[in-house]
Amino acid sequence: MTCVELHESLVDNETGSSAEQQAHIKNCSECAKLVADLLVIAYAAGDLRAVHEPHPRVWKSIETTLRREGLIRQRRSLSLLPSLSSQWSWARWMAPAAALLLITLGIYLKQNPQSKNAISETTAEVTRPAETVPDAATGLNDADLLQEIAKQSPALQEQYADNLRHVNQYIQDAKNVVAADPTDEEARRSLMEAYQEKSMLFELALDRSLQ
Amino acid sequence: MHRMRKGFDEFMGGRTLQVAALSAVLAGTIPGTLLAQTHKEYRFNVGPRAGLSVNNPYGSVSVRPSTGNVIVINAVLFSDKVEVDNALVGNRVEVVSHLLPGSDAQSGRIDYEILAPADASVTLHSSSGTLHAEKLQGDVSMEGAGATVDVRDVTSAHVRVKTLNGPVTLTNVQDGHIEVDSLTGKVVLRSVNGPFVQVVSTSGEISYIGDFGDHGDYRFTSHSGNIEAVVPDSTSADVTVRSVRGEVHDDIHLQPKQHSSIPTIKEGVAFVGTMGRAAVSSTVVLRSFSGKIHLRKRAAE
Repeated sequence: MTCVELHESLVDNETGSSAEQQAHIKNCSECAKLVADLLVIAYAAGDLRAVHEPHPRVWKSIETTLRREGLIRQRRSLSLLPSLSSQWSWARWMAPAAALLLITLGIYLKQNPQSKNAISETTAEVTRPAETVPDAATGLNDADLLQEIAKQSPALQEQYADNLRHVNQYIQDAKNVVAADPTDEEARRSLMEAYQEKSMLFELALDRSLQ
Repeated sequence: MHRMRKGFDEFMGGRTLQVAALSAVLAGTIPGTLLAQTHKEYRFNVGPRAGLSVNNPYGSVSVRPSTGNVIVINAVLFSDKVEVDNALVGNRVEVVSHLLPGSDAQSGRIDYEILAPADASVTLHSSSGTLHAEKLQGDVSMEGAGATVDVRDVTSAHVRVKTLNGPVTLTNVQDGHIEVDSLTGKVVLRSVNGPFVQVVSTSGEISYIGDFGDHGDYRFTSHSGNIEAVVPDSTSADVTVRSVRGEVHDDIHLQPKQHSSIPTIKEGVAFVGTMGRAAVSSTVVLRSFSGKIHLRKRAAE
């Protein structure tokens, strides 16, 4: 996989977690840094959602645009979720929107490599305020998740709440280490992994709710 | 669901060798309920490198190698509140436990025993059952919130596991590309090696017993869980160990490494070094925030 292919692949997997992406990232420090930066930016952007939730029309418009561009397709599993559509719609479209953001930034950074340092500095600045807002550690909405679990499997609500506490602490700790030393590649990787853990928690919870 | 039904109709129309429907009815009692266990068997002819996908919310799934290009599915249904939807789509067999209204974890349970070609790619999904695969050479993906995962005797495969609190055990997985994510479940790897072995956990314990192969990238990360690696004398690896707030213990006495990605080595918190012949070594990174990390030598037998 080349750097260009890596950037293109981020459309389908913006976390850079696939085997091919990992193989490339392992050998390309530039792309590794880029993916780490963009992931933090994407999730930090998610934090902003709590401050200002766009009107549903905005998400609908993004959906329409992405479909017209052929960037997203109807996922088979999503068709099983009519009852969840209103509550989870933001989460559905956050991923393609974040992917679009990642690709746009990726192309921009590829064409303007000198701007990477500036982005890194910005990332560090974006990360620091989160330290003072531990409950808003990510753009993912914990309350929605717990509400859905309470509705579908009340007995598991406590377990998921506990898991959320653990994973949010993981993210917060990882953010703190990155903030302390933004050049620490391992710390950045840990932050990505922490976000992936939370992503997995939501993914498995959503699978459970499908039942 | 319509697609599954359509596939099932095709399947019934003669695309398979045989459908052995009801073969046994066993009576079992559950407190307050009488549940009849039904045994069903399905057979599918498939080509080389077939796919197998099983989504079973409640109950176990076990996959072992078959003889020839055939997939044989033995299902034990624990009540009439659940049924097996299956379809052969191209070269891929898809199986779903279809929960009917009123079903719960007990009445919705199905246990599957499946024989599949060794080169098949297998995807298993269960929320609470045991997922087991052995003696396969195709890719294996297992996922489930509370599922217990057991993979053994797998060669040259991509093994992907995701659980919330279910324990994960990988035994004798050779030359694998392995990715394990578990929030709180304990992860145990025994005799596991390959070009890429990664375990990420939030608070689960990670235990590795093996020799780290000779050319792989091994990365074990846990936020608050302990990490232990037990290796034989013959191990050859570049090792980086770091715990932000926990402790690290090295019983092996690593040789100093010239180029370190950790700028400051603090005794008891981090260390970097090599063991064995560095020229043919693997890269090992053990990392935790508050868990203990222990790298020790396997006791002579």
